[in-house]
Amino acid sequence: MATQSQRRTLNRRTFLRGIGASIALPMLDAMASSAPKVAASVSPVRMAFVYIPNGVIVEDWTPATDGKDFVLPHILEPLAPHRHKLLVLSGLSQRNAQALGDGGGDHARAAAVFLTGVHPNKTDGSDIRNGISVDQIAAQHIGHHTRYASLELTCEPGKLAGNCDTGYSCAYSNSISWRTETTPNPPEGNPRAVFDRLFGGGSENLDPETREKRKKYRGSILDFVLEDTQSLQKSLGPTDRRKLDEYLYAIRTIEHRIESNEKLAAGEVELDVPESAPKDYAEYARLMFDLQVLAFRTDQTRVSTFMMAHEGSNRAYREVGVTGGHHGISHHQGDTAKISDIRKINRYHMEQFAYFIEKLSATEDGDGTLLDHSMILYGSGIGDGNVHNHNNLPILLAGNAGGIVKSGRHIKYADDTPLNNLYLNMLEHAGVPTEKLGDSTGQLNYLGEV
Amino acid sequence: MWKRVKSANSLYLPAAVLFAAGLLLTGCETTKKVAAVEKAPEALEHNLGAYESTVVPFTKQYCLSCHDAEHAKGDVDFESYESPELALADVEFWRKVSEMVQTGQMPPKKQPQPTAEEIAAVVAFLDGEHTAQRAAAKPDPGRVTMRRLNRAEYNNTVRDLLGVDFRPADDFPADDTGYGFDTIGSVLSLSPLLMEKYLAAAERIAHDVVVRESCDDVTGAKRYVFTCEHPNKPHAKVCAERVLEPLARRAYRRPPASEEIEKLTGFVDLAYENDDTFEQGIEIALQAILVSPQFIYRIEHNAPARFGKEERRLEDYELASRISYFIWSSMPDAELLDAAHDGALRNPRVLRTQLQRMLRDPRSIALADHFAGQWLEFRNMTIADPDPKLFPLFNDGLRNAMTQETMLFFESIVQNDRSILDFIDADYTYLNEALAKHYGIDGVTGAAFRRVVVDPAQRGGVLTHASILTVTSYPTRTSPVLRGVWVLQNILASPPPPPPPDVPALEAAKIDPNAPMRAKLEEHRKNESCASCHARIDPLGFGLENFDAVGAWRTTEGGQTIDNSGTLPDGRSFSGVAELKKTLMDRKDDFARCLTQKMLTYGLGRGLEPYDAPAIDKMVENLARNDYRFSALVYEIVRSLPFQKRRGEVETNGDTIAKADVEP
Repeated sequence: MATQSQRRTLNRRTFLRGIGASIALPMLDAMASSAPKVAASVSPVRMAFVYIPNGVIVEDWTPATDGKDFVLPHILEPLAPHRHKLLVLSGLSQRNAQALGDGGGDHARAAAVFLTGVHPNKTDGSDIRNGISVDQIAAQHIGHHTRYASLELTCEPGKLAGNCDTGYSCAYSNSISWRTETTPNPPEGNPRAVFDRLFGGGSENLDPETREKRKKYRGSILDFVLEDTQSLQKSLGPTDRRKLDEYLYAIRTIEHRIESNEKLAAGEVELDVPESAPKDYAEYARLMFDLQVLAFRTDQTRVSTFMMAHEGSNRAYREVGVTGGHHGISHHQGDTAKISDIRKINRYHMEQFAYFIEKLSATEDGDGTLLDHSMILYGSGIGDGNVHNHNNLPILLAGNAGGIVKSGRHIKYADDTPLNNLYLNMLEHAGVPTEKLGDSTGQLNYLGEV
Repeated sequence: MWKRVKSANSLYLPAAVLFAAGLLLTGCETTKKVAAVEKAPEALEHNLGAYESTVVPFTKQYCLSCHDAEHAKGDVDFESYESPELALADVEFWRKVSEMVQTGQMPPKKQPQPTAEEIAAVVAFLDGEHTAQRAAAKPDPGRVTMRRLNRAEYNNTVRDLLGVDFRPADDFPADDTGYGFDTIGSVLSLSPLLMEKYLAAAERIAHDVVVRESCDDVTGAKRYVFTCEHPNKPHAKVCAERVLEPLARRAYRRPPASEEIEKLTGFVDLAYENDDTFEQGIEIALQAILVSPQFIYRIEHNAPARFGKEERRLEDYELASRISYFIWSSMPDAELLDAAHDGALRNPRVLRTQLQRMLRDPRSIALADHFAGQWLEFRNMTIADPDPKLFPLFNDGLRNAMTQETMLFFESIVQNDRSILDFIDADYTYLNEALAKHYGIDGVTGAAFRRVVVDPAQRGGVLTHASILTVTSYPTRTSPVLRGVWVLQNILASPPPPPPPDVPALEAAKIDPNAPMRAKLEEHRKNESCASCHARIDPLGFGLENFDAVGAWRTTEGGQTIDNSGTLPDGRSFSGVAELKKTLMDRKDDFARCLTQKMLTYGLGRGLEPYDAPAIDKMVENLARNDYRFSALVYEIVRSLPFQKRRGEVETNGDTIAKADVEP
């Protein structure tokens, strides 16, 4: 068993090296000078990554002072009840979202780079290339404990025609989660579909014999298509074969799920989910947060990513009296009316996020609450939306990862500290010690110290 | 990333820099850097003498003060070539330079201007080089990455394969787009989530179909699956083959191999082993077909290795699939498959007849829905969000009517085989009462749409459609910039390069935020780095200012008379939409090229590359010769080199697949 798991890790290591991330081998006690910082709690660590587009009004986001006694600025105020569970982290950056010779396209790059730290290949379609995102590194290593390795959600479907951002395929601005360098995980925006996937449409109502038979048939269908795929591979060129790998991976994932226990008492989950997405933004966002809380609580998954809107979104937030499109007014050029509108949007998003944090903190989990055992990241790949810079990003981390993260502070890091350094800490706390991810230079200090 | 070699005397130009700057677009943003970098320079005799005497002094005098290695404004740097030959090999770059100089966009007006003779000499040289190089280049059909069925194609395919009408793919995650379309093989990915949906859809579809066809009142003609039924167990195998062979042929869009049929009939045996019925066995086999990669992907085999990178002609069945997914967004029907079986699609007369039949078939509505919806971007109407306070009359009824107008207009051009120039200028459109009222046109009553003759001073042609005018506006106001970019990109094959990454920083504090839109835009055209692009973007949008943000006609805004005049960089002026349309009609060739490129991209499922240029030139030429008829455009695309052939791909090192890539 140990050998097998070690071989598994080795395989992954070999693979990950090729894409700019490498995973440390499990350290032998004799070799380790200090044990890696992994949660001691029996409850598993959960990770969520929540994305907001178009940056923020930085002055209304960043606390004036660092340390424990910071005052919550206007945008962060909705989090006041959970101040002691927060880390506000300033100075972090994603330098690979900068043009670096590629010209326009800051919005597409901001989303693509946010969880990867890798400069995406500028293309409208051929040769899409990015890095593996932090959530997927985690999913690859802890995903086998749960039915779903990860969940990818959104509150806004992407644009349906035309270009998303000059010269970049829409894949870049619509997804922050990347399973491989070339395969984004498109997020699901229909709450009903998410609910059915997690809790409904199961075979729990069938009699055991029918269920068994159905499982057998499904098994032989998967065998059939696997054979089909193998014979097909031989007649394809390298590019098409790589495409077919996506298919193969998906089939294997499902095989794994059929094998794993599908136990879930239907009565365990209570949530009223409408057939289609609610029109009211707050209602919609809260429903998507509810689903993540449920998925964590029932241990359907331990990793999620959620785009509160896609990057470059031009949604009009009339719910809070903002009639202009978000992206349009984010380039406010000093116009006070527009600045005030952006503040409203920033705060409105934060109110929904505060609801998520509230729910997590109110949900018992093992020896504490879900929030105690989680690391919830909130932020944007753009700092100031007006100039779309990618340094000093607005970043929050909520939760304690089972006690390792000492929250309730504002920490200022040196400007241009890679955001990916934070991901190294998060991965280690989730039990996935990682040496390098994207442009990381080493773990952040101070997260676990007061 | 790229090597930059500088020499004292000659101008060196790295392809990658310019491609990365997004400058080398042949139009409709289609050119790609990969090919140009990969491709070795052809052994072409360049006229180096004329280059040194004409181009070099010109660029030194008029270009280098901004576009040298040090400044490289707009990421354009004339100073780095590895040799004059390599520089000249960058056909698309020089084509763009030629265009910029010819249309007066460069050098900037504040800088010293070349004389008409100097411009003429440079342009003549570059055009000559361009023609010579194209003629000398080896034809290359390119290679399309294996295409997964997108949502529309999946829905249509199960409809035509099995008579399923509940559109199962509407629940699938949205398909990503590239080059403006959702048919691009390299962009269409397959996530585990989508695979779950495929499995669930296959179960539901197979079950519904088997139950439906098990009813006794279903006649033979309505049967998609059971061509043979209720066999005694000893005859089950023969009957299963009789059901599954034609089914697999249609689902895989080619004749299945006998081993494939063998495996499929195995599901009937499996059902019997588990005390289930023949029908249940067929149901499982059908599920398997529907999740097989042979169904989900459109597969074109790689040419045998011994041919190396050489091209090959598509097999007849592959060609049939390309045609049917191009025109119908669906599988080939029996007649097309039979034509493929007979090898008849190589015969121009047969091909023409088939294409005409397919265009007349109601399934060709897919072109209006999916091609036009994305080319003209009216698909975005579903997410258009005009401000309800400013536009209280905009509602879902009007939203649908707007989309319907453009759909019906496109469809009428297809069905009546009209000239594609109607897209720019026509004296008719399609309206119902709600939309006619919105346009201020009397005499149209009821919810039904009908053809209406319109006053060309106000309406007619897609530029005047409320759908287009709405998707190119912000929620609260029009945007001459968005509309101008739309025209350049979708009508003139001349998309502007992306804005520089630090735009707002350049502008901040200089412009009074309370100034009217037109004044703001004029102010920002005074900024040199904005001017070169906005001088050709903004005027086009000004010409459409008589249409508000939901496409209603207006003559004033905020009490001020609308100024609908514009002047293009080449000095041509116009006022209002009628004159703007005339200006565009002067550029028929550009429009024909734009539409051809867009449609070829959509039909092929890949971005266009510099090596596609000769094929496109030929198509545009033939299209003009055929009075720009829509059917000629479709015929030219299907007959073209990139549509008929496929380049092979050889194994390279590093193609070995990491195990973790395919194992969760």
